[in-house]
Amino acid sequence: MTDKDTSRQMTFRPNRRQLVSGITAVGLLAGAPVRFAQAQKRIPIQEGDFAPVPIAIPNFAAGTPSDGEVGAGVTQVITNNLRRSGLFAPIDQAAYLEKVVNFDVVPQFNNWKSINAQALVTGRMTRQGDGRLKAEFRLWDVATGQPLAGQQYFTQPENWRRISHIISDQIYERMTGEKGYFDSRVVFVDETGAKERRIKRLALMDQDGANVRYLTRGSDLVLTPRFSPSTQEITYMEFGQGDPRVYLLNIETGQREIVGNFPGMSFSPRFSPDGQRVIMSLQQGGNSNLFVMDLRSKSTTRLTDTPAIDTSPSYAPDGSQICFESDRGGKPQIYVMPASGGQAQRISFGDGQYSTPVWSPRGDYIAFTKQGGGQFSIGIMKPDGSGERLLTSGFHNEGPTFAPNGRVLMFFRDPGGNGGPSLFTVDISGRFEQREPTPGFASDPAWSPLLS
Amino acid sequence: MKGKIEKTLIASVVLHILVLGWGLLSFSTKAFVMPEEETVAVDVISADQLSHVMAGLKTGKKENPKPLVEKVAEAKPPVDDAVGKITEKAPVVTDTTPPPTPKPVEKPVEKKPDPPKPVAEAKPKEEPKPVEKKPDTTDPIAEALKKEKPQKPVTEAAKPPPQPPKPKDRTFDQTKIAALLDKRDPSRQAVTGDTLNSNAALGTAKGSSADNSATWGAMFRQQVERCWKKPYGGIESQNPEAAFSIRLKRDGTLETVPVPEGTPATPYLRVYQESALRAIIECQPYNLPAAYFEEWKFFAPVFTERKS
Repeated sequence: MTDKDTSRQMTFRPNRRQLVSGITAVGLLAGAPVRFAQAQKRIPIQEGDFAPVPIAIPNFAAGTPSDGEVGAGVTQVITNNLRRSGLFAPIDQAAYLEKVVNFDVVPQFNNWKSINAQALVTGRMTRQGDGRLKAEFRLWDVATGQPLAGQQYFTQPENWRRISHIISDQIYERMTGEKGYFDSRVVFVDETGAKERRIKRLALMDQDGANVRYLTRGSDLVLTPRFSPSTQEITYMEFGQGDPRVYLLNIETGQREIVGNFPGMSFSPRFSPDGQRVIMSLQQGGNSNLFVMDLRSKSTTRLTDTPAIDTSPSYAPDGSQICFESDRGGKPQIYVMPASGGQAQRISFGDGQYSTPVWSPRGDYIAFTKQGGGQFSIGIMKPDGSGERLLTSGFHNEGPTFAPNGRVLMFFRDPGGNGGPSLFTVDISGRFEQREPTPGFASDPAWSPLLS
Repeated sequence: MKGKIEKTLIASVVLHILVLGWGLLSFSTKAFVMPEEETVAVDVISADQLSHVMAGLKTGKKENPKPLVEKVAEAKPPVDDAVGKITEKAPVVTDTTPPPTPKPVEKPVEKKPDPPKPVAEAKPKEEPKPVEKKPDTTDPIAEALKKEKPQKPVTEAAKPPPQPPKPKDRTFDQTKIAALLDKRDPSRQAVTGDTLNSNAALGTAKGSSADNSATWGAMFRQQVERCWKKPYGGIESQNPEAAFSIRLKRDGTLETVPVPEGTPATPYLRVYQESALRAIIECQPYNLPAAYFEEWKFFAPVFTERKS
């Protein structure tokens, strides 16, 4: 009986004292933090300039006396990469107070603050006993003294350039929040010789212009090389005996095969994001239409069937859609269509002719060449056609290709006259336009995915 | 039994304090809401306002809360007395005389030559009507402020009320100005100096009366924006925002590392936050008016792309 009473009392009727003290306690708790948090004045700050990050990169230390050269080389490549991206301003080594930095200790940040560095990279290269090369680096925030990133890599000594690119990517990602693009390659058409008798060869190089390699001999005209997502194959067009054909070239083995046997001419091939198919345009009679060929089964599928010229297709990174150029409406415009064919939607509506559309690896933009008003421009727009911006205009600009992080575009420009075309890169904000170093004249660039 | 009574009494007292305290605090937190406009030290005196001031007050009403003038330094002769008193002396004196402000208390306060600022202004401004209201609120503040330099708050508090009625009273009289101009030189300066109220906002309903955040907030913002290198956001930034709470010492250096509010959700937001943190650290020491140290020793700068 007593139990029942007490239990009933506890569950249904806390006594008044408990109630009052409970409310008091809750009130005290609720009141205090609110007061504290709202005691601060909030000052909005909105205006800051975008400016490249001043970064200091002293020479990588040499783990063994013979590693000085490779350390300096790695530092040079990293510095060059970061500077060319336009987002970093490497400080001249002559200004450093401390030329040789001990990798194993925390740096003296005052030395770097005094030259206005915001970030500091220290590193070391050490040749191992088994012949491998060990590369280590650390990225420091000078203002707070905190380490931001650090890694250690083991590789064959001849791969020191790739290590430099990988380290550059790490620094870029940590400081900008975007994925890097330095560890990639560019395939292009190298042009040499007199203007009337240009010799065009396929060439492959690192994105900073190093390690140039020629893939064809130049006896035949080659055009529009494109990388496979697996990076070991390139598809391109060659004007061999008879009509132009689409070829598949394995970079490592050098083997070459024709992509299908089609009557008529085939143009502008591109890989699908999974690397299993090649999409291209086939010309039959007066019009050209889009076809997809599966590389393994060799079966082809027709995607468009119009009397117009449909060409220059490009897959979206998720493989669900393609964008292409078509003059079915009169002038060349850009259309978007489901990857399996179907209703095509026009997305370009400005004044002029739009051609060579290419979908960004991030899926957020489509880059194109626009011709109008006597000028050639490279521009970008969103996949629904909105937000069109032109990044560069001039006598001639053509053939954009995206870097693997979708933030930089490469294209080629022919100044006319007796000269020849060159490759240029520009950020998608329109800034940092600069020339890409090539051994001679160059055109038709294509950027590979990240190698790592 | 006795114990019980005491406990309930205590609980009752505590609850009362809580409720009343919450009421007080909720008002004062509103005062901290800073008006969004950029307040920069700019003289925006319209011609007739200037003439009003110059014209002096027959009736001794000195109005004119000049809009946004941060001329802290100038602070000279306070409002030009309509009476045409040459204000070579401490403005205080002149100020106090003309306006029939029923605040004798404040006059002595004015006498301080140091802040020849708006404080002096404030006094003359008060009109008889609003004055009654004012004295209640401002007097205690004035008293408190007497102890220290910044008497601006008083000025500011005083300003809003006088503002509305003032314009009606003034009529532009050229001759008067001409007559006054000759002697006016010092007072002219005073006028501008007086306008020190950094808060035109005081006239608004927000009524952040005892707050000078517009002054030191603008100064802090200008200084930190110098160092802030925004990270590359590509074209579409995700409307990033990074807020910190910082503590400053009297000399304008950071007392502790700024504490960020919240953790960034994406790599870009993290980089954004870090860039703001770097900016705060690099731009110290901050040159902020020592007078308002109590306000800026602990506050929250918010770095944002959002245009509110």
